[in-house]
Amino acid sequence: MLSDLEDKAREVLLRYEYPKAAMLPLLWLVQENQGCVSPEAEAWVGRQLGVSIAQVREAVSFYHMFHTRPAGRRELRVCTSLPCRLRGADELLEGIKQRLQIGPGETTPGGEVTLTEVECLCACEMAPMAQLDERFVGPLESEAVASITQDALSEPGSPESTPEPDPFISSDGPVLSTRFQDPDGTWFEAYVANGGYVAAKKALTSMTPAQVIDEVSRAKLRGLGGAGFPTGKKWSFIPKETTKPKYLVVNADEGEPGTFKDRYIMERDPHALLEGMIISAYAIGSHKAYVYVRGEYFESARRLQRAIGEAHSRGWLGKDIQGTGFDLEVVIHSGAGAYICGEETALLTSLEGGKGFPRLKPPFPAVSGLFGCPTIVNNVETLACVPFILREGAGRFAGLGTDTQGGTRLFCVCGHVARPGVYEASVGVTLRELIEGYALGMRDGNRLKAVIPGGISAKILTASEIDVTMDFDSLMAAGSMAGSGGVIVMDETTCIIDALESAARFFADESCGQCSPCREGTGWVHRIMRRITEGRGQLKDVDELLAVADDMEGKTICVFADAAAWPVQSYITKFRDEFEEYIRTGRKARHTEAA
Amino acid sequence: MPRLSIDGREMSVPEGTTVIRAAEELGIYIPRYCYHPGLSIAGNCRICLVEVEKANKLQIACNMVVAEGMVVHTRSDKAEEGRRAVLEFLLANHPLDCPVCDQSGECDLQDFYMNFGLYNPRFREHKVKKQKAVALGPHVMLDQERCILCSRCVRFTDEITKTGEFGIFKRGDRAELGLYPGVMLDNPYSANVVDICPVGALTERDFRFKARVWYLSSAPSLCNGCSQGCNIDVHYMLDRPHLNDGARLVRVKPRYNPNVNEWWLCDAGRYGLGWVDQGRLDKVRGPSGDADASWDRALTAIAAALKRSSEGEDGAGGGGGTRIGVIASAKLTNEELFLIREIFQGALGARISASVPEKPGSNDDFLIKADKNPNTMGATLLGLAGPDAPDAAHLVDEALAGNLDVLWVLGHDLLELFGEGKVRELPEKVGLFVFSGTNENPTAALAHWVLPGAAYLEKDGTFVNCHGRVQRIGRAFPPPAGSREDWRVLLELARRLGLALDWAEPREIFQGLAEAVAPFAGLSYETIGAQGAEVVAPELPAGAAAS
Repeated sequence: MLSDLEDKAREVLLRYEYPKAAMLPLLWLVQENQGCVSPEAEAWVGRQLGVSIAQVREAVSFYHMFHTRPAGRRELRVCTSLPCRLRGADELLEGIKQRLQIGPGETTPGGEVTLTEVECLCACEMAPMAQLDERFVGPLESEAVASITQDALSEPGSPESTPEPDPFISSDGPVLSTRFQDPDGTWFEAYVANGGYVAAKKALTSMTPAQVIDEVSRAKLRGLGGAGFPTGKKWSFIPKETTKPKYLVVNADEGEPGTFKDRYIMERDPHALLEGMIISAYAIGSHKAYVYVRGEYFESARRLQRAIGEAHSRGWLGKDIQGTGFDLEVVIHSGAGAYICGEETALLTSLEGGKGFPRLKPPFPAVSGLFGCPTIVNNVETLACVPFILREGAGRFAGLGTDTQGGTRLFCVCGHVARPGVYEASVGVTLRELIEGYALGMRDGNRLKAVIPGGISAKILTASEIDVTMDFDSLMAAGSMAGSGGVIVMDETTCIIDALESAARFFADESCGQCSPCREGTGWVHRIMRRITEGRGQLKDVDELLAVADDMEGKTICVFADAAAWPVQSYITKFRDEFEEYIRTGRKARHTEAA
Repeated sequence: MPRLSIDGREMSVPEGTTVIRAAEELGIYIPRYCYHPGLSIAGNCRICLVEVEKANKLQIACNMVVAEGMVVHTRSDKAEEGRRAVLEFLLANHPLDCPVCDQSGECDLQDFYMNFGLYNPRFREHKVKKQKAVALGPHVMLDQERCILCSRCVRFTDEITKTGEFGIFKRGDRAELGLYPGVMLDNPYSANVVDICPVGALTERDFRFKARVWYLSSAPSLCNGCSQGCNIDVHYMLDRPHLNDGARLVRVKPRYNPNVNEWWLCDAGRYGLGWVDQGRLDKVRGPSGDADASWDRALTAIAAALKRSSEGEDGAGGGGGTRIGVIASAKLTNEELFLIREIFQGALGARISASVPEKPGSNDDFLIKADKNPNTMGATLLGLAGPDAPDAAHLVDEALAGNLDVLWVLGHDLLELFGEGKVRELPEKVGLFVFSGTNENPTAALAHWVLPGAAYLEKDGTFVNCHGRVQRIGRAFPPPAGSREDWRVLLELARRLGLALDWAEPREIFQGLAEAVAPFAGLSYETIGAQGAEVVAPELPAGAAAS
């Protein structure tokens, strides 16, 4: 009964400054209790928030994790994005379909499970993978396909037969991964024993906000969500003279295909994020912080909530932190399945209860962000670097990197390497070292064909271009980008046309649909690519793809359309012969040398 | 005042002006779909891309605020190339069904393609299928495939009516405009979304497949549905009667007036003009049995009766006009009310009133006013309505008491106002009962003489709205043969009564009015113009401006 949820709804509403911001949490509340968001529930949510039912339906239909009709007792989400596809996602989905005897979007006749085909779940280290309800599983190869099907058909809560994933996760540090050993997470006492909250104490008791910003600037910390903007500089944009509240918003909407680092920070070292948030909030004068966690990261949100509870009870969050007079409340806000919400202004619109539509700039969030107030949006990994900077000194952090970018970062290496995983390395590491050293080279002794160095949006590099260092400026100079640090490696067996079809489908699925060039362009590109892979390509399609991609670039509110254009431009420019051969013969050109 | 240049032309504009508005001041029209001056900025259609020197990307003119020294190019190669790309995207999934689309001929997608696009189409894929011909409410039809998702209609129902019916559901190229299932688009301003829809996605059900827009003639006028006086354009068709069941009026569109209705019009006003083509009086009717009734005979008979009553037979023993009553209407123009005042009150000494006991209609805090007469304020300024004016009910009572020789009613249905029982006796109680009006009504059936009048769209004249703004009607088309404008009838009557009113048309009557009635002093049809003018009313009569 919806009326039974009224008390909980009131509790949720109390967390937010404006009722509409509780849109996603209330929709989640309804779905968790009723299995789906029915029309009655939409009306109920609209009444709770004081918004029209049309706005509720806009949200329900925009975010892919909401069901509008009763679904199965369990949900099996199978990822078929590029990194999983490189490692056999198509075969996995086929195997599951055969065993369950249903297709994506369908529920087994007995109501046991709903099968959903999803874009990247950002667990490419365990590709090919799937998510059964809230649990990530993979790699799902050979007998694991049978066991995941069996698990999917079992009652929720019964013992799982699919083994716990055990990917390689660096724990050597020096900055971000030092407390990554325990898959069950590092909790308050262990964190403090390891030097935790020393930096926050130092900032709150012995530094001015300006000094904190200066320290972070000197550390040359840059935004690790993908844009690489200098963090200290960003913080300094917060207006000094304002009577409005200021907000810190953490971008934990990890979604860039090939990226899976923020999840490990939140699940294995959540206090590092919280400590970074306390310092950042102090620097910008914020007393309320939101962490926007992607909807599929159930476990991350749970562990972060546990850490928040610990920090509260130890006086590291809430009123008068450690007797310093500084207050900070942290609210976790779960997304619901929309890649675009990783774009910082879309994230704010989503947090306010709307569809994840990026906003026109100016004004920039630092001036007018969440609820029209000055807001800083920082990525999880960026903030997790901050305690180290204050504890060990800006010089030490800066010294770990290059001239223009300090520190290390968590590189996510996936695809056709021998050991996919998370590797902490200096931002000055070369792509070759990451692939050949850290990830132990190519699987099965195959030859490298191409690499996407910074998540699916980054332009592709050929095997001859991997001596570039992985910092923002070097990769930009090399014609690609460091992005989110997601390294997608492709060996000689890769069909570059299939790869582009996959990337194109991702962008067509995830375009928010606001700006015409992106809405229409992503769909157009994907339809051409699908036609080509169905054997109905024409040679003129190649130039048409380039023309459409060029037309999409630089004409939209956010850079999503540019990101969708870059793969098209770079794959075709670097592998044009393969495209033409594919279209001419209608066959996949295996073992083609990189151009 | 930042200085900037647009297409090589220098200008300065107030701080905060956007490029699209600055360009308009220079007469440079930058195409737009999502931008609408009455709505918030969405910036989603991207068609208004312009090149701004020193910016590395093209900028949208609707959201770009001018800055000192800015150099803007709206027709450079880079800007044109950007617009071409955007148009091609907008047309990619558009059905291109212009031959069967009501918007054809006034479609911005069509027009901007002709003006700014003109590329060879390259899109060869299957188009996304969406719903077509969805009736959203009593007045509006939706074609989702034609929609370019500019969100103007969504912003209209969110920001202007605050009714929130529209939503854009789903995402990417599956995004679609619609209403929540079961919700009707039936707010009092619903059809405005048709006007602001830049394409054929939202069309008028009333206009559906009725005529190609290029068959329509247009005339600027006013809505006479209430005292707000919203400005309208009347779209009519005189030469294709087969397309519209013989009706001349085809549709009504709001006409922009920042002082009255901005871009908007209520549905009641928009769809309230059916009477102009239906149930019209178009023949003079005389006392029963008079088969040869004509304007000449009617006016001769009426003039004689008026003379008789005011001067008596051969100039002796008359009532000095006090036995003549005129119930005028706040639906008449100022010019006509002025003539009535000059002839009946001034020359004849008759008793006149435009103050009738009407029930107030619906109203809101936006455009819709409870007073459903367009010219109550004009009648008030002329002393014929308002709290100090004589009461029409009193005139009816006087008539029933046998104290009137002549009763002239203009437009009203006395049966509805004063009750059938009372009014049925009037023909016996007064010597001459004249009705003039545009449409058949029960009162006309009782009158001795019925004079068919011109509808307000069929004549020139002015109304004063409830905020004291005098505005011109502007004649759209002539009255039906047999009908005459009330001002023309009144002038002819004056001539027959031997009065020296040497005006020939409404423009001249208004000059006389402006000289005689203080609030109108100094005004003329020229100064009123297309957007109206404030009447000089140091103290508007109390209560006259309310609703």
